[in-house]
Amino acid sequence: MERTPLLSMHNITKTFPGVLANDDVSFDVHSGEVHTLLGENGAGKSTLMKILFGLYQPDSGEIRLRGEIAAIDSPTSAIEHRVGMVHQHFMLVPTLTVAENVALGLPSARGFRTDLDAVSERILEISNQYGLAVDPGIEIWKLSVGERQRVEIIKALYRDAELLVLDEPTAVLTPQEVDDLFVILRQMTNDGTGIIFISHKLHEVLELSDRITVLRNGAVTGSTTPAESDRQQLAEMMVGREVKLAPDKPAVDRGPARLQLRNVSVKGDRGTVAVDDVSLDVHAGEIVGIAGVSGNGQRELAETIAGLRNAQGGSVRIDSTDLTNASPAEVRAAGFAYVPEERMKDGAVGEFEVSENLLLINHGDPQFRKGPLFDFAKIRAHSQRLVDQFSVKTPTLDTPTSTLSGGNIQKLIMARELDSSPTVILAAQPTRGVDIGAAEYIHSQLVQQRSDGVAILMVSEDLDEILGLADRIAVMFDGKIVTVIERESATREALGLAMAGG
Amino acid sequence: MKNKKILKLLGALFAFTLLATACGSSSTDSAGESDGGSDGGSAEASTGLSVAVVAPSASDDVAFTQSMIDSLGRLGVSPQVTDGTFVVEEAAAAIRGFAEDGTDVVVAHGTQYGGSLEEIAPDFPETSFIWGTATDNRGLDNVFAYNPAADQGGYVMGLIAGNIVGGEDIGVVGPVEAGDAVAYINGFALGAEAAGSSTSIVYTGSFSDVALATTTAQAHVDNGVSALTGTSQSAVGAVNIASANELPWFGTQSNTEPWSEDFTVVSQVYHWDVVLAEMFALIEDGTLGGQAFELTLENEGLVLEYNDAFELDADVRAAADEAVAGIISGDIATQ
Amino acid sequence: MSEFFTVSVIFATLSTSIRFAVPYLFAALGETVGQRSGVLNLGVDGIMLLGGFGAYYAVLETDSHILGVIAGLAVGLLMGLVYGVVTVFLHAKQGISGIGIFLFGLGFSDLLFQELVGTPLPIRPLPRLDQLPAVGGIFEPLVELPVVGPLIFDHDLLTFLAFLLVPAVTWLLRKTTFGMNVRAVGENPQAADSLGVSVARTRFISILIGSTLAGLAGATLSMQLAIFQQNLTNGIGFIAVALVYFGAWQPRWVMAGALLYGIVTATRIRWQSLDIIPQGASDVAAMAPAVITILALVLLASRVRGPAALTRPFSRH
Repeated sequence: MERTPLLSMHNITKTFPGVLANDDVSFDVHSGEVHTLLGENGAGKSTLMKILFGLYQPDSGEIRLRGEIAAIDSPTSAIEHRVGMVHQHFMLVPTLTVAENVALGLPSARGFRTDLDAVSERILEISNQYGLAVDPGIEIWKLSVGERQRVEIIKALYRDAELLVLDEPTAVLTPQEVDDLFVILRQMTNDGTGIIFISHKLHEVLELSDRITVLRNGAVTGSTTPAESDRQQLAEMMVGREVKLAPDKPAVDRGPARLQLRNVSVKGDRGTVAVDDVSLDVHAGEIVGIAGVSGNGQRELAETIAGLRNAQGGSVRIDSTDLTNASPAEVRAAGFAYVPEERMKDGAVGEFEVSENLLLINHGDPQFRKGPLFDFAKIRAHSQRLVDQFSVKTPTLDTPTSTLSGGNIQKLIMARELDSSPTVILAAQPTRGVDIGAAEYIHSQLVQQRSDGVAILMVSEDLDEILGLADRIAVMFDGKIVTVIERESATREALGLAMAGG
Repeated sequence: MKNKKILKLLGALFAFTLLATACGSSSTDSAGESDGGSDGGSAEASTGLSVAVVAPSASDDVAFTQSMIDSLGRLGVSPQVTDGTFVVEEAAAAIRGFAEDGTDVVVAHGTQYGGSLEEIAPDFPETSFIWGTATDNRGLDNVFAYNPAADQGGYVMGLIAGNIVGGEDIGVVGPVEAGDAVAYINGFALGAEAAGSSTSIVYTGSFSDVALATTTAQAHVDNGVSALTGTSQSAVGAVNIASANELPWFGTQSNTEPWSEDFTVVSQVYHWDVVLAEMFALIEDGTLGGQAFELTLENEGLVLEYNDAFELDADVRAAADEAVAGIISGDIATQ
Repeated sequence: MSEFFTVSVIFATLSTSIRFAVPYLFAALGETVGQRSGVLNLGVDGIMLLGGFGAYYAVLETDSHILGVIAGLAVGLLMGLVYGVVTVFLHAKQGISGIGIFLFGLGFSDLLFQELVGTPLPIRPLPRLDQLPAVGGIFEPLVELPVVGPLIFDHDLLTFLAFLLVPAVTWLLRKTTFGMNVRAVGENPQAADSLGVSVARTRFISILIGSTLAGLAGATLSMQLAIFQQNLTNGIGFIAVALVYFGAWQPRWVMAGALLYGIVTATRIRWQSLDIIPQGASDVAAMAPAVITILALVLLASRVRGPAALTRPFSRH
């Protein structure tokens, strides 16, 4: 005889115009377990959770909590049913204190007046119980990302949540913070809380989960446990075919240093030092990975190399050319290709057609000209070749780029950049928000370029990606490169420690 | 769902009404309040000319604009009026609109409209434009200029004020240092000086800011003045301070008795009709402009209207009448 | 020069400044609440004009200042209902809707005035503390006090109310659940919504508070000046909106701004009347209050970012 689950969602179906977002999904969570929802972007995880949280109504199917049918039609009613949610983008008011954020929406014991001292007392009890150290009187904007997440969890616990949904909670955390979070979550399950964990980081899923349910195209493709599966298997369940998580890297001899950074210092948008005395060489035939939690100077460093931001000190060279504070055109002329972090902001023009974006960096090239005009026949041929070669999935060459998926836009950018036969490639977060299939393809392309003797600098927050691709790993913290390690001697733990500045 | 649609429709309707009302009320109200009998929008003058007025403040401001509406009324003209156009662009649009509609005479009642007229008047050679207050017609053949010699009445009133307060200070609340306001105030100061009183003059910087005029009058009172005067439609604020402190008040442009029945001593009233009648006659004879006219005590375009409720000493009144004669004969300089 | 620095003249000037600041203060405090909830109301000046006319007309007809105050409040509330429905429930753009409210107030107050009154006739001025019927006698000795008498006690009741509202609004925003909700929906409405705080209701009530106070501001203005006229406010409502911004959305700094604006205005008028500022410089002098007030607030008021969701309509996705 099986005990009644805390939550059971039966045969949930939800359609949006033209999209079957949830297709007969059934899913349950017991008290005291972590049940992971795994799936690619658009697999239907967030739709399912928005239904649970009362933001969407399902077309059919039912939700039961503690065995009883629950009609959840708003976040408030979800809270009343003791369902809590920690959103990926925190739902906190930065100018309010921790206690005020926690008290928001709840009746006060003093009626019209707030009762923040009583709230603070309760917060301290909760934080002592779970080791969620936080000062109730401090404004949210003064807190670190990890601390803000704790406030979100406290908010749910304060409302006596028995079921807690965590949407991509580790995306913004350092590995050490992830470890701390897992300890807290474990303690909560020991006390009987049920947790729905949403993530696409396979090793975390395997570490934390009791059960794993995989969604693909809105439907459940399988349920498993960490004991019965591994990363490879989970990835294949997500994608629905065989995938290579880490590309095979042929041995390549490391050539001469092509990209040379010497004592580079850069100011950030707020005028404070963002990159602090960074020196690094990237050799022909190697991939150097820059690991680190975002906001530690990676973006500014990348922009400086690409000629988009001026350095206050130091030098940038490609081969024998000094490119310190050169223009983007000069940097590109020296053999540089750039896959930027913000692909829709810096990498492609959303309103432009696919073929226009493919031409973006070489529209002045005489081969595409007929006198003063564009030679459209040649441009189409060129675009078609790139789209085919990099398997960019687009209906036509005239399709507005913004309508493509993240993975296909990234492939489009890669196609344009790699077609210029670069000697140095800077790829920032090349697979962030990209589905596994596209990521696999992008990785294989980078490895191919490495075999061709290109020097590749890759910035990534994803340790799996760094460990899978890089030959050497530089860790950035607070604008400095704190360590450079050969891949063979790098461990996840050591990197995590360095990323936290340790 | 349906409800929301209806709500939105209602909202749009309301917003439209809002804007329509807002625009409507600041433009082309026919000045029905003024005398002269014709109904509707078409303005029928006793002269047979159609007349339109564009003016910066309200038609019943007991000051500058009202003086024009009242003057036209005395000529039996009931004009079309666009008032409240402090913004010169709006006024220019109204002036051009009236000219396009084929109005015979467009009165641009504001010094600040001169620049606009230089652009508009040449485009409508068949239309006569009457512009003031201005001392010359800027060389335009179809523009008449008019200007009050406000210093003349100002001098007489300053003299009366000085004689009433017997050497004590008089507070003056002025708007902007321009046009007839400066002429009036300078004339007033000369007259007061002739009676042995000094004046304290403050220009607030606004024709319309009642709060500022009130504050200014209060400052004068705190300084110990014994009489007050002021000009522009913002002067109503100063009148109230005069009444509250029971100080004699001297009005100009229009008769200010409605504002202060007890403390208005005398008002210098602009009777534009004197010069308007001359202009209308010229227009009917085919001369559409090219001359400048002045309101003076002599041509009775400036009229001193004494308040019967305020008891003025006979010798003060006699001295005032003497000054009027002196100004007309040219024995007294008021500038 | 020395004349100005006599104590009595300084205190008379300050006393004038305090009274002058009152309409600004009412309007700006109301707008502070509205903006804290994320709603900008550029129609304050129009609501003031309508409230000002309502109060003027009520006093003209009934000679009762209490009815004048009630008329101003009621007109403000009514306009708030309109603005609230349009911006909160119909998600109209706040900037243009506010301008619409302003234009409506400007035009409609004038229309009503022309139709119902015509020639601006003065009404009975607002009584000072010692002129109040029945209880005035009690305050007479206070008003007679040297220095503090004219400075603090020689005012009407609305002046006292305006300054008492400063701590009251601070308390409302900081110490009540409603105020907490206001700050939350002005900063991150999604977060507030996710916790069951009704963004629409909170903003709607904030708008009503703001516009009711704008109506009261207009009523105070017309009753203090004892007159109504086309465009009586002359832009006070817009200056009040600016005071909220430069006062960093904090009631005490908004008050400081309103007072400073009043002091600089009264001082420059006083200096002109004493010839300290010569004739000919009046145009420059007229700019002084705005320039000095903005400079001072920019330098002194702690620079905080405004409510992050200001002017952004909220709807669930």
